[in-house]
Amino acid sequence: MDAYTNSRRVFCTIVPPHVLDKLSHHDDPLVAGPARRTLERDALERTRRRITTVRGVTATLEGAPSSKPRRTIYDAEHETRLPGKKMREEGGTASGDESVNRAYNGLGATFELFLNAYGRRSIDDSGLPLNASVHYSEDYNNAFWDGEQMVFGDGDGEVFLDFTIPVDVMAHELTHGVTQYTANLEYFGQSGALNESMSDVFGSLVKQHVLGQTAGEADWLIGKGLLAERVTGVALRSMKAPGTAYDDDVLGKDPQPGTMDDFVHTSRDNGGVHINSGIPNHAFYLAATALGGNAWERAGQIWYDVLTGGDLASDAQFTDFAQLTVAAAQSRYGEGEEHTAVLEAWAGVGITDLGARGER
Amino acid sequence: MRISVIRTGGFAGIERRAELDTSERPDATHLAALAHQAVEKGAAAAGRGVPDGFHYEITIDGRTVHVADPHLSDAQRELVRTVLKEGA
Ligand SMILES: [Zn+2]
Repeated sequence: MDAYTNSRRVFCTIVPPHVLDKLSHHDDPLVAGPARRTLERDALERTRRRITTVRGVTATLEGAPSSKPRRTIYDAEHETRLPGKKMREEGGTASGDESVNRAYNGLGATFELFLNAYGRRSIDDSGLPLNASVHYSEDYNNAFWDGEQMVFGDGDGEVFLDFTIPVDVMAHELTHGVTQYTANLEYFGQSGALNESMSDVFGSLVKQHVLGQTAGEADWLIGKGLLAERVTGVALRSMKAPGTAYDDDVLGKDPQPGTMDDFVHTSRDNGGVHINSGIPNHAFYLAATALGGNAWERAGQIWYDVLTGGDLASDAQFTDFAQLTVAAAQSRYGEGEEHTAVLEAWAGVGITDLGARGER
Repeated sequence: MRISVIRTGGFAGIERRAELDTSERPDATHLAALAHQAVEKGAAAAGRGVPDGFHYEITIDGRTVHVADPHLSDAQRELVRTVLKEGA
């Protein structure tokens, strides 16, 4: 079987659609909600893939969402078939494989921030199991979210090291899952850059939460510890100073802009989603550092409110998002310093004129 | 046969490109077979792919197809790996 047919495993296929349809009309929202979402997702996904394998049990239908994560870490054994060999389950003893343990801990740290800071129970807020595969492919210089699980490569050792080293990278991937289940920002152009930025913002917040750092103490770097020794650079992105994370013979120079004046128009990378994310990233940094204290508290809460509030369109542009953060700051904290900090943060990246429209 | 690969996207968003000419290689027949299979299953236009997934633009003698992780066939994966690793 080739990688294509084998790599798709969908938590919804275990339950036949007619059963899901029945469950989606169930009186208990804990049952109906996940079933409905599964049906919606299933319909969406069916058009773009062949489903050949059925594995596991659908955990979203198993009752009340838990305040404990349900993690399973797999070893792809340098192949590209997912998820691979099961290595560590929730509550299981540590593996002899440090990549497995780092992934287990990274997923736990991310689950914890979303739960402790925002009361969110896993990716879907209904206790969705967290699955990750490590050792994907050979010398693989990447990590991604495939729509259902996290996937981490080992790096080639020349440019990149193991993608399970930085906790913010693991949290970045998990946050793609949160975004998928909430605003579902289209992964293209400005909405795609916002999607990327959400992952960097909460990725950085998870790291700050783990380290117990305030906004002023944090380094605001994404992917610190990921670059091999010979690479000239400190990380892959800097939310504090976009465009300064690396400048290297092989990697080139960090291309991120920090303001709208330097917005990059390109067709590559889905319209520069990993490039222009520097702009909303920097806006978050400005808001969080202006407010001070723990960035996940007020600044993070405002961003989380917008991501999950239901008003953020899947094709939202930077200005739409900015406007909603101004409104969210007002509705949660009134006309105080939070409102001012958010307005000034966006002005700092060249997105102005939000006040009047933000008030509706 | 000239085979070029442009890899875009990925967590780092760093582009990589490489090209090789099969005529000077001992594995020319094998690469030509891979190329044939790779093009057969590729898409004419780029899709959006999965968050942080790599996109690959494979061009073989002027014909371009698009594929994206994790949905690469074994032939596509081997071809892409070979070109990015050994191509210039
Ligand atoms: Zn991402």
